[in-house]
Amino acid sequence: MTISQKTAWVQLVIFSALVIGWAVLFTVNGTVFYWQDETMKMTFYWLLAAAFAALVVMNVVMSILKSRLKAVTDERDKAILRKASLFATGTSYTVVVALLLALAITYMNGGSDNIPVYFPLFIAIIGGVTLVLTQAITALIMYGRKVNHA
Amino acid sequence: MPSTRINNRIRRLRFDNNEMTQEELAQRAGCTRQTIIALEQGKYVPSIELAFKIAKAFGVALEEVFQYEE
Repeated sequence: MTISQKTAWVQLVIFSALVIGWAVLFTVNGTVFYWQDETMKMTFYWLLAAAFAALVVMNVVMSILKSRLKAVTDERDKAILRKASLFATGTSYTVVVALLLALAITYMNGGSDNIPVYFPLFIAIIGGVTLVLTQAITALIMYGRKVNHA
Repeated sequence: MPSTRINNRIRRLRFDNNEMTQEELAQRAGCTRQTIIALEQGKYVPSIELAFKIAKAFGVALEEVFQYEE
């Protein structure tokens, strides 16, 4: 397993844990649409902050390893990462646009009273998490399939 | 457009070169062992540069390592 594959696995584990953490939080405390509980709101953001902090730490560790070891990544890893990033960007963009469209339709039908102030922030967060998760999953799938350098 | 395929004789050439290991070839060509494995399994089509480096590692011409089929 190359260092890039390991990175993708760690990325997948961190962000899957984040999504599971959120799911548990919402299951235990109820809907996210109206934050009645300050503790729940902070737990939501702390989980997110912890996931992104773990991502930063992982990238720093991987960068140190890459600089110390010889030929740990090569053109195949870069080609896979490039293609996975491109696909993840497209997917994330589509998700964000679809959610913004849903937000716009809700606003047009019911006015601003139906839209909690947190929604735009949620959409940005969902876009970011989708980007990281899709990139990791796509990269791992591509490692098992035929890839061209170009 | 007809489908094309790039085959290679890396596994054969490794054995013909004193059973060179994948790791040894990877070091000579400047890539990872996983890329050599992917090449041997036909799961990766390399850049021209890497193809030349692999051919050079065996001391043969590019055409002796990679074949283009239509």
